Amino acid sequence: MHSLKLIYAFLKMNIQMSLAYRADTVVNILLNLMWLGWELLSLNIIFSNTQTLGGWGIGELIALLGVFRLVNTLMIALIWPNTEKFNQSIRDGSMDYTILQPANSMFLVTFSRITVWRFWDLILAIILIVIGINMSGDLITAPQILTFILLALSGIIVIYSLWIVLIALTFWFTKFDNNVTILQALLDAGRYPATVYPVWLRVIVTFIIPIAVATTIPLQALRGELAFNQVLIFFFIGVASFIIASRVWKSGLKRYSGASS
Amino acid sequence: MFLIFKRLWQVNWAEQWQYRANLLMYLLYWLVSPIIYLAVWTSIATANGDVKGFTANDFITYYMVLLICDQVTSNIVIHTFGYKIQDGSLSGELIKPIHPMLTNALVNNVAFKILTMFGLTPIWIILFFLFQPDFSSVTLTGILLAIPAMMLAFLIGYFQSAAITALAFWTTRVYSIHEFYFALILLFSGQFVPLPLMPQLIQDIAQYLPFQLMLYYPIQLILGNLSTEQIIQGYVMTGVWLVISWLIFNWVWRKGVKKYSAVGA
Amino acid sequence: MTPTISVQQLSKTYEVPEREGGFSAAVRSFFKRKYKDVKAVQEVNFNIEQGEVVGFLGPNGAGKTTTLKMLSGLLHPTSGTANVLGFTPWELKNDYLRSMTLVMGQRNRLSWDIPAADSFLLNQAIYRIPDDEYKETYKELDELLELEPLMKKPVRNLSLGERMKCEIAVGLLHRPKVLFLDEPTIGLDITGQARIREFLQEYNKRTGATIILTSHYMADVTALCERIIIIHHGQLKYDGGINDLSKKIAPFKLIGVLMENADAHDLSQYGEPVENMEDADKKFIQVKADEVTRITSRLLADLPIRDITIADPPIEDVIEQAFNA
Repeated sequence: MHSLKLIYAFLKMNIQMSLAYRADTVVNILLNLMWLGWELLSLNIIFSNTQTLGGWGIGELIALLGVFRLVNTLMIALIWPNTEKFNQSIRDGSMDYTILQPANSMFLVTFSRITVWRFWDLILAIILIVIGINMSGDLITAPQILTFILLALSGIIVIYSLWIVLIALTFWFTKFDNNVTILQALLDAGRYPATVYPVWLRVIVTFIIPIAVATTIPLQALRGELAFNQVLIFFFIGVASFIIASRVWKSGLKRYSGASS
Repeated sequence: MFLIFKRLWQVNWAEQWQYRANLLMYLLYWLVSPIIYLAVWTSIATANGDVKGFTANDFITYYMVLLICDQVTSNIVIHTFGYKIQDGSLSGELIKPIHPMLTNALVNNVAFKILTMFGLTPIWIILFFLFQPDFSSVTLTGILLAIPAMMLAFLIGYFQSAAITALAFWTTRVYSIHEFYFALILLFSGQFVPLPLMPQLIQDIAQYLPFQLMLYYPIQLILGNLSTEQIIQGYVMTGVWLVISWLIFNWVWRKGVKKYSAVGA
Repeated sequence: MTPTISVQQLSKTYEVPEREGGFSAAVRSFFKRKYKDVKAVQEVNFNIEQGEVVGFLGPNGAGKTTTLKMLSGLLHPTSGTANVLGFTPWELKNDYLRSMTLVMGQRNRLSWDIPAADSFLLNQAIYRIPDDEYKETYKELDELLELEPLMKKPVRNLSLGERMKCEIAVGLLHRPKVLFLDEPTIGLDITGQARIREFLQEYNKRTGATIILTSHYMADVTALCERIIIIHHGQLKYDGGINDLSKKIAPFKLIGVLMENADAHDLSQYGEPVENMEDADKKFIQVKADEVTRITSRLLADLPIRDITIADPPIEDVIEQAFNA
């Protein structure tokens, strides 16, 4: 309950901040629409040259674009601004204050910046998913929607955990502050079904940096392509990665305070 | 003059070396989308036999060469210079008797390129073994012709980006403007897909724009796909756009510096 | 009664990578780094009772900030123990964090882009301060620091002094029992320093909070602290009353004499002459404390003296001597 109160406090503060930069917000929304246009155009170009891509039609790819944008909202609304804040706080030493606050530091680092207007992307993403599924003509049942939500959440947690690990690395390697770029780059691979990629790349995006877990897999669940035990496994991956990430964060903090080594 | 560039080189090389870990990250980031496009299009070509005459190998060689061309012709001036205008640290450079954009920032970009080239080479070799492209159409003449073309194309891109960067004298939103410019490159340069696969309208417009000179044209040069006539046409276009870009940059920069010193920032 | 802060054999050693300049050294250090141990704090002991205001003194790099960071819980010591309000600081228990504060003059807790009021409310949420208690504390701080006119402006538009007032206030919203202040007046002008000083004095009186502060400005320390702790090269050099310092470290007195035709007389045979004193009319010599009476009577007998004063040397000079000892 207290966490919700804190998130509310952070939200209020961030709305204040984005109101101070109204014009930028408008420009950013326009740019965002421009990129959506580009993404749809590139799908159009692909499908004017082929019927299917990795076994999926254009409807499924539009839905996949929706799922990708869902995850990407997390990147843009939370991960990028908080990375910037985090790196700055390491540089100027205000990280000290974050650690000395009586709340979970991982929580504080996650929510202290929120690009509020980005959440309209979520609506856009859901519209894309609905349109895409409609175009593909797949039949969707209620349990499929539920497993989709479950696995999308667990996928988002996987990406989030990866981020925590990446920024925690800064505690060991201070100059490592361009760390999130690589996450974004691989996330971009999630725009297309993992089945298109050569085996080595598929292995990377499924197991090493499991972007596909957050994009392709939930969509497969929505289309009812996953068996029950597969759903369980992918859900477990989400839980496990969160646990690992909080461990890494804790030892990173220990490193920062000189408790380790 | 030579000494100035030598010293600038030492400083900028040392600076870029400091950021080598970040540089590697940047490199990996920048590598991913060509590899994704490569994977997508080879998968389509393999499934359908070919795409409008492009075979899987055509796509592989196209993107493999693109990795190098993009590396040579792109620039990072907006990231290394934009903030200097905004936070006022440009003042220190303006009072020096050298043009900051044409000396310091330029050398900085070149140092950045050479360092990333070190990173790119092993990755490129690994990709070579993974995809096993057939480069039999590549000729030495093609490569020799492409090198000056790429260098000139780099200067075109550099002047254009520098002109956009100089807009920071007026607005704080240069990064947004540059993002829009970046989208134009994506659309018209052949970065996403070889230009003949783009919609006809985009192909028609792309012919007259400078963006294809940065990627599509040198790639085709290297791959030996151009007739003598096309090669000459490309070089003429490059020359024309180089002059235009230079004039635009020079005009924007002068106006900007005048405004900057008038405000006394 | 157990002391509020008790520190035993506290030590901190840093591993610092060594690197030479130049390209080849850079390449070598990329593969194999050499480390060198730096002993920032060595076996420091002290106790501080509730309500005390203690000044930490020492030159840059002496270990003051490291000690403060260990006491606030930011740094884990290499060895030794510390106990503050019954907690071991570096365990970072929420109950501990809610009962102390660390204010660093060179670091910002407030967000630059938004008015301080919003950062205050955020801290209320983080520290779980009930509304009525928050209002009361805020009223009190406002009374002492005149915050109200500053609260609505974005922090970036505040002057350094105004910002420092807000920084201190935001650190005190949760009514901490122990205050660690690292250079709270750094960069402020004389009036600004005095304001903060008066505030801390009053705050200490009203709440009985325990305060440890470090400062470059001796005036901060002489005005606020009855007790000082001097750290140099990581070691505790002095711990005691500020007035006793001169007796222990530098058992000297300053004798100032006002004479007619002052330049005609050479005082160096009586004691070490001291130049550049505030009182330009007088001439000053420094003598050992136990020789004061003897030398004074000699001076009075030998010279045409109109006025004579005997005083402790300025605290700055004493501390300077303590560092060099």
